[in-house]
Amino acid sequence: MAPSNLEQDIARLIVESLQLEVDPAAIDPDAPLFRTGLGLDSIDALELALAISRRYGIELRADDEQNGKIFASLRALAGYIGTHQK
Amino acid sequence: MTCDASTADDLAVLLAERDAEALLFRRAGASLTAAHFLRDVQRVAAGLPEADHCLNLCQDRYAFTVALAAAALRGQVSLLSSDRSAASLAGLNGRFERVIAVSEAPAADIPLRHHVLALPHDPVAGTPPNPLIPADRLVAIVFTSGSTGTPVGYRKTWGAITERSRAAGLRFGMLAAAPAGVVGTVPPQHMYGFETTILLPLHAMAASWSGPAFYPIDIRDALLAMPAPRVLVTTPLQIRALLDNGMALPPLQAVISATAPLDPVLAAAAEQHWAAPVLEIFGATEVGSIASRRTVAGPAWTTYDGIRLLQAGTEQVLIAAPHAEPHPLADRVEALSPVEFRLLGRNADMVKLGGRRASLGGLNAILLSLPGVEDGVFIAPDDLDQRPGARLLVFAVAPGLSADDILSALRERIEPVFLPRRVIRLGALPRNEAGKIPRAALLDLLAPDAGPR
Repeated sequence: MAPSNLEQDIARLIVESLQLEVDPAAIDPDAPLFRTGLGLDSIDALELALAISRRYGIELRADDEQNGKIFASLRALAGYIGTHQK
Repeated sequence: MTCDASTADDLAVLLAERDAEALLFRRAGASLTAAHFLRDVQRVAAGLPEADHCLNLCQDRYAFTVALAAAALRGQVSLLSSDRSAASLAGLNGRFERVIAVSEAPAADIPLRHHVLALPHDPVAGTPPNPLIPADRLVAIVFTSGSTGTPVGYRKTWGAITERSRAAGLRFGMLAAAPAGVVGTVPPQHMYGFETTILLPLHAMAASWSGPAFYPIDIRDALLAMPAPRVLVTTPLQIRALLDNGMALPPLQAVISATAPLDPVLAAAAEQHWAAPVLEIFGATEVGSIASRRTVAGPAWTTYDGIRLLQAGTEQVLIAAPHAEPHPLADRVEALSPVEFRLLGRNADMVKLGGRRASLGGLNAILLSLPGVEDGVFIAPDDLDQRPGARLLVFAVAPGLSADDILSALRERIEPVFLPRRVIRLGALPRNEAGKIPRAALLDLLAPDAGPR
Protein backbone atom coordinates (compact mmCIF):
# COMPACT_ATOMS: atom_id res chain seq x y z
CA MET A 1 0.00 0.00 0.00
CA ALA A 2 1.44 3.39 -0.97
CA PRO A 3 1.94 5.89 1.86
CA SER A 4 -0.87 8.42 2.30
CA ASN A 5 -0.30 12.16 2.27
CA LEU A 6 -0.58 12.26 6.05
CA GLU A 7 1.98 9.46 6.34
CA GLN A 8 4.38 11.37 4.10
CA ASP A 9 3.80 14.51 6.14
CA ILE A 10 4.51 12.69 9.41
CA ALA A 11 7.57 10.98 7.94
CA ARG A 12 9.01 14.42 7.16
CA LEU A 13 8.11 15.61 10.66
CA ILE A 14 9.93 12.62 12.20
CA VAL A 15 13.05 13.15 10.14
CA GLU A 16 13.12 16.92 10.72
CA SER A 17 12.33 16.93 14.43
CA LEU A 18 14.75 14.10 15.24
CA GLN A 19 17.41 15.16 12.74
CA LEU A 20 17.57 11.68 11.27
CA GLU A 21 19.88 10.90 8.41
CA VAL A 22 17.23 9.12 6.36
CA ASP A 23 15.09 10.06 3.40
CA PRO A 24 11.50 10.49 4.67
CA ALA A 25 10.25 8.65 1.57
CA ALA A 26 12.43 5.67 2.52
CA ILE A 27 10.67 5.06 5.85
CA ASP A 28 8.68 1.85 5.57
CA PRO A 29 5.18 2.78 6.78
CA ASP A 30 4.76 -0.64 8.41
CA ALA A 31 8.19 -0.91 10.08
CA PRO A 32 8.53 -0.27 13.85
CA LEU A 33 9.62 3.25 14.80
CA PHE A 34 11.14 2.29 18.17
CA ARG A 35 13.93 -0.11 19.11
CA THR A 36 14.15 -1.85 15.77
CA GLY A 37 13.20 -0.22 12.48
CA LEU A 38 14.10 3.46 12.89
CA GLY A 39 15.55 2.58 16.31
CA LEU A 40 14.04 5.49 18.23
CA ASP A 41 14.08 5.69 22.05
CA SER A 42 12.32 7.56 24.85
CA ILE A 43 14.22 10.82 24.28
CA ASP A 44 12.98 10.71 20.68
CA ALA A 45 9.46 9.92 21.88
CA LEU A 46 9.39 13.14 23.91
CA GLU A 47 10.83 15.14 21.01
CA LEU A 48 8.37 13.63 18.55
CA ALA A 49 5.44 14.24 20.92
CA LEU A 50 6.41 17.93 21.03
CA ALA A 51 6.54 18.14 17.25
CA ILE A 52 3.16 16.38 16.97
CA SER A 53 1.65 18.77 19.51
CA ARG A 54 2.95 21.79 17.59
CA ARG A 55 1.90 20.53 14.19
CA TYR A 56 -1.38 18.74 14.88
CA GLY A 57 -2.47 20.02 18.30
CA ILE A 58 -2.54 16.49 19.75
CA GLU A 59 -1.02 15.72 23.17
CA LEU A 60 0.27 12.17 23.60
CA ARG A 61 -0.09 10.47 26.98
CA ALA A 62 2.10 7.90 28.71
CA ASP A 63 -0.86 6.27 30.44
CA ASP A 64 -2.71 5.71 27.19
CA GLU A 65 -3.17 1.95 26.79
CA GLN A 66 -2.86 2.57 23.09
CA ASN A 67 0.57 4.22 23.37
CA GLY A 68 2.50 1.17 22.26
CA LYS A 69 0.20 0.80 19.29
CA ILE A 70 0.29 4.51 18.36
CA PHE A 71 4.06 4.43 18.01
CA ALA A 72 4.13 0.95 16.47
CA SER A 73 4.71 2.24 12.95
CA LEU A 74 4.39 5.30 10.76
CA ARG A 75 1.05 3.95 9.53
CA ALA A 76 -0.26 3.47 13.07
CA LEU A 77 0.87 6.96 14.10
CA ALA A 78 -0.77 8.48 11.03
CA GLY A 79 -3.96 6.56 11.81
CA TYR A 80 -4.01 7.94 15.35
CA ILE A 81 -3.26 11.51 14.29
CA GLY A 82 -5.82 11.29 11.47
CA THR A 83 -8.61 10.38 13.88
CA HIS A 84 -7.61 12.80 16.69
CA GLN A 85 -6.63 15.86 14.68
CA LYS A 86 -8.51 19.00 15.68
CA MET B 1 8.29 12.76 63.02
CA THR B 2 11.39 11.39 64.68
CA CYS B 3 14.48 13.34 63.78
CA ASP B 4 16.79 10.39 63.75
CA ALA B 5 15.40 7.36 61.95
CA SER B 6 17.96 5.01 63.52
CA THR B 7 17.49 3.77 67.05
CA ALA B 8 20.09 2.80 69.59
CA ASP B 9 19.75 -0.83 68.50
CA ASP B 10 20.61 0.21 64.95
CA LEU B 11 17.21 -0.57 63.64
CA ALA B 12 15.48 1.83 61.29
CA VAL B 13 11.72 2.10 60.91
CA LEU B 14 10.12 1.21 57.61
CA LEU B 15 8.10 4.39 57.64
CA ALA B 16 8.99 7.64 59.40
CA GLU B 17 6.36 8.45 62.01
CA ARG B 18 3.15 9.40 60.20
CA ASP B 19 -0.54 9.43 60.92
CA ALA B 20 -2.37 6.35 59.69
CA GLU B 21 -4.30 8.47 57.19
CA ALA B 22 -1.22 10.38 55.93
CA LEU B 23 -1.09 10.31 52.13
CA LEU B 24 1.94 8.45 50.77
CA PHE B 25 0.99 7.89 47.13
CA ARG B 26 -1.79 8.91 44.81
CA ARG B 27 -2.84 7.59 41.46
CA ALA B 28 -5.89 8.27 39.29
CA GLY B 29 -8.85 7.59 41.55
CA ALA B 30 -6.94 6.33 44.60
CA SER B 31 -5.27 7.86 47.65
CA LEU B 32 -2.88 5.42 49.31
CA THR B 33 -2.22 6.18 52.95
CA ALA B 34 0.31 5.02 55.53
CA ALA B 35 -2.27 2.50 56.79
CA HIS B 36 -2.83 1.09 53.28
CA PHE B 37 0.89 0.83 52.78
CA LEU B 38 1.70 -0.96 56.05
CA ARG B 39 -1.18 -3.37 55.52
CA ASP B 40 -0.21 -4.12 51.89
CA VAL B 41 3.46 -4.59 52.85
CA GLN B 42 2.48 -7.14 55.48
CA ARG B 43 0.24 -9.01 53.06
CA VAL B 44 2.66 -8.96 50.12
CA ALA B 45 5.58 -10.00 52.36
CA ALA B 46 3.60 -13.05 53.46
CA GLY B 47 2.90 -14.02 49.85
CA LEU B 48 6.36 -13.56 48.32
CA PRO B 49 7.88 -16.84 47.13
CA GLU B 50 11.07 -18.06 48.80
CA ALA B 51 14.03 -16.27 47.19
CA ASP B 52 17.26 -14.43 47.94
CA HIS B 53 16.87 -11.70 45.34
CA CYS B 54 13.77 -9.90 44.15
CA LEU B 55 13.97 -8.12 40.79
CA ASN B 56 11.49 -5.25 41.15
CA LEU B 57 9.93 -4.55 37.76
CA CYS B 58 6.93 -2.56 39.04
CA GLN B 59 6.19 0.59 37.08
CA ASP B 60 3.48 1.82 39.42
CA ARG B 61 5.38 3.56 42.21
CA TYR B 62 3.10 2.42 45.01
CA ALA B 63 3.37 -1.21 43.93
CA PHE B 64 7.13 -0.78 43.57
CA THR B 65 7.41 0.57 47.13
CA VAL B 66 5.24 -2.17 48.63
CA ALA B 67 7.36 -4.81 46.87
CA LEU B 68 10.61 -3.18 48.00
CA ALA B 69 9.48 -3.04 51.64
CA ALA B 70 8.01 -6.56 51.57
CA ALA B 71 11.25 -7.95 50.16
CA ALA B 72 13.28 -6.09 52.81
CA LEU B 73 11.13 -7.58 55.59
CA ARG B 74 11.61 -11.05 54.12
CA GLY B 75 15.38 -10.52 53.90
CA GLN B 76 15.30 -10.51 50.09
CA VAL B 77 17.58 -8.07 48.27
CA SER B 78 15.73 -5.98 45.68
CA LEU B 79 17.46 -5.74 42.31
CA LEU B 80 16.77 -2.48 40.47
CA SER B 81 17.60 -2.37 36.79
CA SER B 82 16.46 0.21 34.25
CA ASP B 83 17.28 -2.22 31.46
CA ARG B 84 14.26 -4.48 30.97
CA SER B 85 15.54 -6.37 27.94
CA ALA B 86 15.15 -10.13 28.21
CA ALA B 87 18.90 -10.60 27.70
CA SER B 88 19.72 -8.30 30.59
CA LEU B 89 17.19 -9.97 32.91
CA ALA B 90 18.48 -13.43 32.01
CA GLY B 91 22.01 -12.16 32.78
CA LEU B 92 20.93 -11.21 36.32
CA ASN B 93 19.59 -14.70 36.82
CA GLY B 94 23.04 -16.09 36.08
CA ARG B 95 24.81 -13.68 38.44
CA PHE B 96 22.56 -13.92 41.48
CA GLU B 97 21.24 -16.79 43.57
CA ARG B 98 17.53 -17.60 43.70
CA VAL B 99 16.07 -14.64 41.83
CA ILE B 100 12.38 -13.91 41.46
CA ALA B 101 10.86 -11.08 39.44
CA VAL B 102 7.88 -9.12 40.77
CA SER B 103 5.54 -6.78 38.95
CA GLU B 104 2.05 -5.40 39.42
CA ALA B 105 0.72 -6.94 36.21
CA PRO B 106 1.34 -10.16 34.29
CA ALA B 107 4.06 -9.87 31.64
CA ALA B 108 4.99 -12.32 28.91
CA ASP B 109 8.66 -11.68 28.27
CA ILE B 110 10.29 -12.23 31.68
CA PRO B 111 12.86 -15.04 31.64
CA LEU B 112 12.69 -15.46 35.43
CA ARG B 113 10.44 -16.99 38.06
CA HIS B 114 7.72 -14.35 38.13
CA HIS B 115 5.40 -13.28 40.93
CA VAL B 116 2.50 -10.91 40.24
CA LEU B 117 1.62 -8.75 43.24
CA ALA B 118 -1.91 -8.87 44.60
CA LEU B 119 -2.87 -5.37 45.76
CA PRO B 120 -6.62 -5.29 46.33
CA HIS B 121 -6.86 -1.77 47.86
CA ASP B 122 -9.74 -2.74 50.11
CA PRO B 123 -10.64 -0.53 53.07
CA VAL B 124 -8.23 -0.69 56.00
CA ALA B 125 -9.33 -1.50 59.52
CA GLY B 126 -6.77 -0.36 62.07
CA THR B 127 -3.13 0.36 61.42
CA PRO B 128 -0.65 -2.51 61.27
CA PRO B 129 2.62 -2.03 63.17
CA ASN B 130 5.44 -0.05 61.59
CA PRO B 131 8.20 -2.65 61.20
CA LEU B 132 11.83 -2.13 62.17
CA ILE B 133 14.54 -3.21 59.76
CA PRO B 134 18.21 -3.61 60.77
CA ALA B 135 20.15 -0.56 59.53
CA ASP B 136 22.93 -2.75 58.15
CA ARG B 137 20.57 -5.01 56.16
CA LEU B 138 21.37 -5.04 52.44
CA VAL B 139 18.03 -4.16 50.85
CA ALA B 140 18.82 -3.13 47.28
CA ILE B 141 21.36 -3.49 44.52
CA VAL B 142 20.99 -0.73 41.95
CA PHE B 143 22.47 -1.33 38.52
CA THR B 144 24.09 1.16 36.20
CA SER B 145 24.25 0.31 32.58
CA GLY B 146 27.82 0.69 31.50
CA SER B 147 28.85 1.06 27.89
CA THR B 148 30.72 -2.18 28.06
CA GLY B 149 27.84 -4.57 28.46
CA THR B 150 27.66 -6.06 31.94
CA PRO B 151 25.72 -3.82 34.34
CA VAL B 152 27.50 -2.92 37.59
CA GLY B 153 25.49 -3.24 40.80
CA TYR B 154 25.82 -0.94 43.82
CA ARG B 155 24.75 -2.21 47.24
CA LYS B 156 22.43 -0.15 49.44
CA THR B 157 21.75 -0.88 53.10
CA TRP B 158 18.49 0.12 54.77
CA GLY B 159 20.28 2.49 57.16
CA ALA B 160 22.11 4.27 54.34
CA ILE B 161 19.02 4.88 52.23
CA THR B 162 16.79 5.95 55.11
CA GLU B 163 19.40 8.45 56.38
CA ARG B 164 19.83 9.81 52.87
CA SER B 165 16.17 10.33 52.13
CA ARG B 166 15.70 11.98 55.52
CA ALA B 167 18.56 14.36 54.62
CA ALA B 168 17.04 15.03 51.18
CA GLY B 169 13.67 15.81 52.78
CA LEU B 170 15.36 18.36 55.06
CA ARG B 171 17.23 19.91 52.15
CA PHE B 172 14.10 20.37 50.07
CA GLY B 173 12.00 21.69 52.94
CA MET B 174 9.58 18.76 53.05
CA LEU B 175 8.24 19.59 56.48
CA ALA B 176 5.48 18.18 58.57
CA ALA B 177 3.47 21.40 58.37
CA ALA B 178 3.03 21.03 54.63
CA PRO B 179 3.78 17.61 53.13
CA ALA B 180 4.98 18.00 49.55
CA GLY B 181 3.12 16.53 46.57
CA VAL B 182 5.90 15.05 44.44
CA VAL B 183 5.48 14.23 40.76
CA GLY B 184 8.44 12.34 39.33
CA THR B 185 9.15 11.65 35.66
CA VAL B 186 12.04 9.22 36.21
CA PRO B 187 11.50 5.45 36.60
CA PRO B 188 11.69 4.05 40.15
CA GLN B 189 14.45 1.63 39.06
CA HIS B 190 16.77 4.55 38.29
CA MET B 191 18.73 5.72 41.37
CA TYR B 192 17.41 9.30 41.10
CA GLY B 193 13.81 8.18 40.66
CA PHE B 194 14.25 5.63 43.47
CA GLU B 195 15.59 8.17 45.97
CA THR B 196 13.04 10.86 45.17
CA THR B 197 9.74 9.25 44.21
CA ILE B 198 9.98 6.06 46.32
CA LEU B 199 12.05 6.87 49.39
CA LEU B 200 10.92 10.45 50.09
CA PRO B 201 7.34 9.35 50.90
CA LEU B 202 8.77 6.83 53.40
CA HIS B 203 11.23 9.09 55.20
CA ALA B 204 10.31 12.69 54.46
CA MET B 205 7.02 14.55 54.59
CA ALA B 206 6.08 13.88 51.00
CA ALA B 207 3.52 12.05 48.90
CA SER B 208 4.37 10.79 45.44
CA TRP B 209 2.38 10.44 42.22
CA SER B 210 2.21 6.71 41.57
CA GLY B 211 1.26 6.64 37.90
CA PRO B 212 3.20 7.46 34.76
CA ALA B 213 4.27 11.04 34.03
CA PHE B 214 6.32 11.42 30.89
CA TYR B 215 4.72 13.72 28.31
CA PRO B 216 3.78 17.33 29.17
CA ILE B 217 0.06 16.55 29.54
CA ASP B 218 0.80 13.60 31.89
CA ILE B 219 2.94 15.86 34.04
CA ARG B 220 0.24 18.53 34.21
CA ASP B 221 -2.51 16.04 35.10
CA ALA B 222 -0.34 14.36 37.74
CA LEU B 223 0.50 17.71 39.34
CA LEU B 224 -3.19 18.63 39.39
CA ALA B 225 -3.93 15.36 41.19
CA MET B 226 -1.35 16.00 43.93
CA PRO B 227 -1.79 18.24 46.99
CA ALA B 228 0.12 21.53 47.19
CA PRO B 229 2.91 22.42 47.77
CA ARG B 230 3.84 20.62 44.55
CA VAL B 231 7.37 19.60 43.62
CA LEU B 232 8.24 18.43 40.12
CA VAL B 233 11.13 15.95 40.07
CA THR B 234 12.37 15.71 36.52
CA THR B 235 15.18 16.04 33.97
CA PRO B 236 16.59 18.84 31.78
CA LEU B 237 14.97 17.11 28.80
CA GLN B 238 11.49 17.35 30.27
CA ILE B 239 12.00 20.89 31.58
CA ARG B 240 12.78 21.96 28.04
CA ALA B 241 9.85 19.96 26.64
CA LEU B 242 7.43 21.58 29.12
CA LEU B 243 8.70 25.08 28.30
CA ASP B 244 8.56 24.44 24.54
CA ASN B 245 5.10 22.94 24.77
CA GLY B 246 3.79 25.85 26.86
CA MET B 247 1.44 23.61 28.87
CA ALA B 248 0.12 25.57 31.88
CA LEU B 249 1.01 23.83 35.17
CA PRO B 250 -0.48 24.38 38.62
CA PRO B 251 1.71 26.47 40.98
CA LEU B 252 4.99 24.73 41.86
CA GLN B 253 6.96 25.07 45.07
CA ALA B 254 10.13 23.81 43.41
CA VAL B 255 11.45 22.00 40.36
CA ILE B 256 14.18 19.44 40.95
CA SER B 257 16.41 18.27 38.11
CA ALA B 258 19.03 15.55 37.70
CA THR B 259 20.32 12.87 35.27
CA ALA B 260 22.22 15.40 33.14
CA PRO B 261 23.74 18.84 33.71
CA LEU B 262 21.12 21.59 33.61
CA ASP B 263 22.08 24.56 31.48
CA PRO B 264 21.85 27.72 33.68
CA VAL B 265 20.08 29.52 30.80
CA LEU B 266 17.35 26.85 30.75
CA ALA B 267 17.18 26.93 34.56
CA ALA B 268 16.68 30.72 34.52
CA ALA B 269 13.92 30.44 31.90
CA ALA B 270 12.19 27.74 33.97
CA GLU B 271 12.42 29.79 37.19
CA GLN B 272 10.87 32.75 35.45
CA HIS B 273 8.12 30.72 33.75
CA TRP B 274 7.05 28.81 36.87
CA ALA B 275 7.98 31.42 39.49
CA ALA B 276 9.69 28.65 41.47
CA PRO B 277 13.29 27.78 42.31
CA VAL B 278 14.94 25.20 40.06
CA LEU B 279 17.21 22.96 42.11
CA GLU B 280 19.67 20.39 40.84
CA ILE B 281 20.62 17.21 42.64
CA PHE B 282 24.16 15.93 42.33
CA GLY B 283 24.51 12.20 42.59
CA ALA B 284 25.60 8.96 41.03
CA THR B 285 24.30 5.44 41.38
CA GLU B 286 27.37 4.37 43.36
CA VAL B 287 27.02 7.06 46.06
CA GLY B 288 23.41 8.17 45.62
CA SER B 289 22.30 11.80 45.80
CA ILE B 290 24.81 13.74 47.89
CA ALA B 291 24.37 17.45 47.20
CA SER B 292 22.20 20.08 45.61
CA ARG B 293 22.38 23.61 44.28
CA ARG B 294 20.09 26.25 42.88
CA THR B 295 21.41 26.29 39.32
CA VAL B 296 21.02 30.03 38.76
CA ALA B 297 22.88 30.84 42.01
CA GLY B 298 26.25 29.61 40.81
CA PRO B 299 28.49 26.57 40.51
CA ALA B 300 28.85 25.59 44.19
CA TRP B 301 27.08 22.44 45.41
CA THR B 302 26.21 21.98 49.08
CA THR B 303 26.21 18.46 50.48
CA TYR B 304 23.20 17.02 52.26
CA ASP B 305 23.11 17.02 56.04
CA GLY B 306 25.55 14.37 57.32
CA ILE B 307 27.57 14.05 54.10
CA ARG B 308 31.18 15.22 54.00
CA LEU B 309 33.92 15.36 51.41
CA LEU B 310 37.23 13.72 52.27
CA GLN B 311 40.21 14.78 50.23
CA ALA B 312 42.40 11.80 49.37
CA GLY B 313 45.43 13.00 47.45
CA THR B 314 45.24 16.00 45.17
CA GLU B 315 42.52 14.93 42.73
CA GLN B 316 40.58 12.19 44.48
CA VAL B 317 37.59 13.10 46.62
CA LEU B 318 35.83 10.54 48.80
CA ILE B 319 32.26 10.84 50.01
CA ALA B 320 31.61 10.01 53.66
CA ALA B 321 27.99 9.31 54.57
CA PRO B 322 26.13 7.63 57.46
CA HIS B 323 25.92 3.81 57.26
CA ALA B 324 28.15 3.67 54.17
CA GLU B 325 31.82 3.09 53.46
CA PRO B 326 33.66 6.19 52.12
CA HIS B 327 33.37 6.02 48.34
CA PRO B 328 35.41 7.80 45.66
CA LEU B 329 33.55 10.20 43.41
CA ALA B 330 33.82 9.48 39.69
CA ASP B 331 33.50 13.15 38.76
CA ARG B 332 36.38 15.60 39.08
CA VAL B 333 35.49 18.10 41.78
CA GLU B 334 37.20 20.79 43.82
CA ALA B 335 36.27 20.73 47.51
CA LEU B 336 35.58 24.31 48.63
CA SER B 337 34.96 23.13 52.19
CA PRO B 338 34.07 19.75 53.71
CA VAL B 339 30.45 20.38 52.66
CA GLU B 340 30.81 22.39 49.45
CA PHE B 341 32.34 21.67 46.07
CA ARG B 342 32.31 22.65 42.45
CA LEU B 343 32.68 20.49 39.37
CA LEU B 344 35.94 20.69 37.45
CA GLY B 345 34.45 20.00 34.05
CA ARG B 346 33.36 16.73 32.64
CA ASN B 347 35.80 13.88 32.53
CA ALA B 348 36.47 13.97 28.77
CA ASP B 349 35.92 10.23 28.43
CA MET B 350 32.57 10.10 30.22
CA VAL B 351 29.25 11.06 28.67
CA LYS B 352 25.90 11.18 30.39
CA LEU B 353 22.76 10.86 28.30
CA GLY B 354 19.22 10.10 29.37
CA GLY B 355 20.43 9.43 32.91
CA ARG B 356 22.95 6.84 31.79
CA ARG B 357 26.69 7.10 31.81
CA ALA B 358 29.11 5.62 29.31
CA SER B 359 32.79 5.83 28.54
CA LEU B 360 33.64 7.04 25.03
CA GLY B 361 36.65 4.71 25.18
CA GLY B 362 34.32 1.79 25.85
CA LEU B 363 32.02 2.78 23.00
CA ASN B 364 35.01 3.16 20.67
CA ALA B 365 36.17 -0.35 21.54
CA ILE B 366 32.73 -1.69 20.57
CA LEU B 367 32.76 0.28 17.30
CA LEU B 368 36.22 -1.04 16.40
CA SER B 369 35.13 -4.60 17.15
CA LEU B 370 32.45 -4.53 14.43
CA PRO B 371 33.28 -6.65 11.37
CA GLY B 372 34.09 -4.31 8.48
CA VAL B 373 34.97 -1.29 10.62
CA GLU B 374 38.66 -0.49 10.05
CA ASP B 375 38.82 2.64 12.15
CA GLY B 376 36.31 4.76 13.96
CA VAL B 377 35.53 7.01 16.88
CA PHE B 378 32.55 8.28 18.89
CA ILE B 379 32.46 12.04 19.36
CA ALA B 380 30.39 14.02 21.88
CA PRO B 381 29.19 17.31 20.38
CA ASP B 382 30.47 20.48 22.09
CA ASP B 383 27.02 21.38 23.38
CA LEU B 384 26.28 17.93 24.84
CA ASP B 385 25.80 19.34 28.33
CA GLN B 386 23.75 22.35 27.24
CA ARG B 387 21.32 20.72 24.86
CA PRO B 388 18.93 18.16 26.33
CA GLY B 389 18.37 15.53 23.68
CA ALA B 390 21.86 15.94 22.19
CA ARG B 391 23.34 12.72 20.81
CA LEU B 392 26.72 11.31 19.94
CA LEU B 393 28.28 11.19 16.48
CA VAL B 394 30.31 8.42 14.91
CA PHE B 395 33.07 8.83 12.37
CA ALA B 396 34.01 5.53 10.76
CA VAL B 397 36.24 4.07 8.11
CA ALA B 398 34.31 1.07 6.80
CA PRO B 399 34.53 0.76 3.02
CA GLY B 400 32.11 -2.16 2.72
CA LEU B 401 29.44 -0.88 5.09
CA SER B 402 26.69 1.73 4.83
CA ALA B 403 25.89 4.10 7.69
CA ASP B 404 22.78 1.97 8.26
CA ASP B 405 24.85 -1.23 8.51
CA ILE B 406 27.04 0.35 11.16
CA LEU B 407 24.05 1.65 13.09
CA SER B 408 22.32 -1.73 12.98
CA ALA B 409 25.42 -3.48 14.28
CA LEU B 410 25.84 -0.94 17.09
CA ARG B 411 22.17 -1.29 18.02
CA GLU B 412 22.74 -4.89 19.02
CA ARG B 413 25.63 -3.98 21.30
CA ILE B 414 25.01 -0.65 22.99
CA GLU B 415 22.13 1.08 24.71
CA PRO B 416 19.84 3.15 22.49
CA VAL B 417 20.69 6.53 24.06
CA PHE B 418 24.32 6.12 23.08
CA LEU B 419 23.58 5.25 19.46
CA PRO B 420 25.00 7.94 17.19
CA ARG B 421 22.52 10.29 15.57
CA ARG B 422 24.85 10.60 12.60
CA VAL B 423 27.32 8.11 11.20
CA ILE B 424 29.84 9.91 9.00
CA ARG B 425 31.84 7.58 6.77
CA LEU B 426 35.35 8.68 5.84
CA GLY B 427 38.22 7.33 3.76
CA ALA B 428 40.53 7.83 6.74
CA LEU B 429 40.35 9.47 10.13
CA PRO B 430 42.46 12.62 10.50
CA ARG B 431 44.91 11.12 12.99
CA ASN B 432 47.84 13.30 14.03
CA GLU B 433 51.47 12.23 14.29
CA ALA B 434 50.91 10.68 17.68
CA GLY B 435 48.09 8.57 16.23
CA LYS B 436 45.47 10.55 18.14
CA ILE B 437 42.39 11.94 16.50
CA PRO B 438 41.96 15.66 17.15
CA ARG B 439 38.30 16.23 17.94
CA ALA B 440 38.31 19.65 16.31
CA ALA B 441 39.55 18.22 13.01
CA LEU B 442 36.59 15.81 12.94
CA LEU B 443 34.01 18.40 13.91
CA ASP B 444 35.38 20.63 11.11
CA LEU B 445 34.40 17.92 8.67
CA LEU B 446 30.74 18.25 9.58
CA ALA B 447 28.38 20.10 7.33
CA PRO B 448 27.40 23.56 8.57
CA ASP B 449 23.90 22.25 9.32
CA ALA B 450 25.22 20.26 12.26
CA GLY B 451 24.57 23.06 14.75
CA PRO B 452 21.99 23.03 17.53
CA ARG B 453 18.36 22.77 16.57
